[in-house]
Amino acid sequence: MDQVPLVGNGQPGGTAGTGGGGVLVAVEARPGPDPAAAAVRIEEAVRARFPGREATALVASRHGAEAVLVAPAEAAQARAGPVPLAASGGGGSESPLGALLREGDRRGSAAMGLVSAEPHDESADWLGMLLGPVVEGGFDLVCPAYRRHRAEGVLNTGIVYPLTRALYGRRLRQPLGGETALSLGLARTLLGDAGWRRDPASAGSDAWLVATVLSQGARACQAWLGAWPRPEVLPEDPSQTLARVLGPVFREMERHADRWQRIEGSEPVPTFGTGGLLEEAPPRVRIEPLAEAFRLGQRELEPVWGLVLPPSVLLALRRLAAGGPTPRLEDPLWARIVFDFAVGHYARAVERRQLLLSLTPLYLGWVAGFVEETQSLAPEAVEDRVESLCLAFEREKRYLISRWRWPDAF
Amino acid sequence: MWEQTKRAFLESLERVFRALARLVPGLAAMLLVLAASVVLAAVVRLVVRRVCERLELDRRLRTWGVAAPPAEGRASPSVLVARFATWTVLALGFLVGLGVFDATAASALSMRLLEYVPHALVGLVILAVGIAGSRAVERGVLIGAVNMGLQSAHLLGLGARWLVVVLAGAMALEQLGVGGTILAVAFGLLFGGIVLALALAVGLGARDVVARSLEKRFPAKKEEGEARNDLHHL
Repeated sequence: MDQVPLVGNGQPGGTAGTGGGGVLVAVEARPGPDPAAAAVRIEEAVRARFPGREATALVASRHGAEAVLVAPAEAAQARAGPVPLAASGGGGSESPLGALLREGDRRGSAAMGLVSAEPHDESADWLGMLLGPVVEGGFDLVCPAYRRHRAEGVLNTGIVYPLTRALYGRRLRQPLGGETALSLGLARTLLGDAGWRRDPASAGSDAWLVATVLSQGARACQAWLGAWPRPEVLPEDPSQTLARVLGPVFREMERHADRWQRIEGSEPVPTFGTGGLLEEAPPRVRIEPLAEAFRLGQRELEPVWGLVLPPSVLLALRRLAAGGPTPRLEDPLWARIVFDFAVGHYARAVERRQLLLSLTPLYLGWVAGFVEETQSLAPEAVEDRVESLCLAFEREKRYLISRWRWPDAF
Repeated sequence: MWEQTKRAFLESLERVFRALARLVPGLAAMLLVLAASVVLAAVVRLVVRRVCERLELDRRLRTWGVAAPPAEGRASPSVLVARFATWTVLALGFLVGLGVFDATAASALSMRLLEYVPHALVGLVILAVGIAGSRAVERGVLIGAVNMGLQSAHLLGLGARWLVVVLAGAMALEQLGVGGTILAVAFGLLFGGIVLALALAVGLGARDVVARSLEKRFPAKKEEGEARNDLHHL
């Protein structure tokens, strides 16, 4: 992966790239660690990391149906603590990104950051890595990436990363990281985006941010922030995660269809920090329930899938379900399935939420095959495996374009 | 004698012609109303088709899972709606025509039928909405049950669908004034039976799901080799 050193070698005090504005960080209030305490800690760390810059850390919490930024002391004084925001990465009035952009614009902050309250990997200089490219490097957007176990974040590995890369031609390894850093210029551009009026439910989501930035050609980079700050909450049900994450991703595909259809291949983005996989404390993964979920879905949901998948794909799925104990969805087949669901979402072949939920068994089948295939591989080989998947998505993009233009023709 | 017979015959013939002459205006008016209703039905058919096209009714109903995908020999929902509107206008035209005809018996019948029409229409609408909604409910329950790993997902979906259909059917019959108490009892028995069947299906098919749900709610201890995955998918 191409890596670019921070301007000034990442040393504190650099001011290249932006004017003399301050740094504003919003800490998301979610169930888990105290965001007010985290905000105080982060403000001190930012001040130490970027001396000469005014550092402010606020807590992003919910007030009624809207996300608001409040001072840590004010958040701590609330009787039951700050009201947690809705699920991370979503759009609409509850999205903390909109509040951050408005506050940053009002203050004229040179850099804005949106972070979670979970303890981060301090050994990776995560705040410097996240904010440094904007403060010191002149980048508009920093997309974070984390070191995670090979079997974690598989929705990102199997769908979001390859799809975003094939669509917009930029290799952001974890496009929907939840955290982010932006420049003042980008913030003002985003505030003027028509999406806030046309699709207010989607504007402000992670998918909206990344798609808007990549399709407008803003200067984006990614930064490895060390080990993933694992949330304290139990993992969400995969079907809910799929619907929550892929809905905005597919909606953004629709919004930027005229742009991504002109993009071919992909190119790396400037990258800061050291990536890789986490090997210690792997999560428990049992492949049989995943494979069984796939088989059950194939048995029961074929009539629903038939509304979006062509007969040849249905036949291939039938064979996979009748085959070995673990389904292995070949990369081109998987890419086509994801593209077909995106087209089905666009063409409203099935009610959208039902469509996304019905993808779950297919996704779990792919996860079963991927986990089984990669569990004995070396870390570099896992990354090669992901790379070959992404190339399959890029190769099958012609299929996507043709189906997008004639959604009923299969 | 011949003169008397001739007079009697002519008088009866005159009475017949007078009676027929009295009928002619009513008959003409009825034919006029029927002709007008045919024209109106054609116009209504055209308008309904246009409105359905404008509203993209077929696509929307397919999206909601209410209508099946298009297939050869199967009429689309918009065609069915247009046909229903056409025949409703023709039937109403016929009833109005009977009323205009002014035959006492026919008129009384048509008046009673016309009074019944709003109830019949409301009943039909309830039934149509119920049947349409039942398919969307079936799909939603089926997908949810599959994602919960229930082996009896298909049965659950079917049960949910029939619950909605039975409910809509009972409401429609009540609107039509058919059945009375028997209907309420029969509906209660059928509804309860379906709910019991679904409860059994869930109970037998969802033991693992309930166990997982309880385990999530009360994470007292974690045993080695538990049957669930610990993956954060994003």
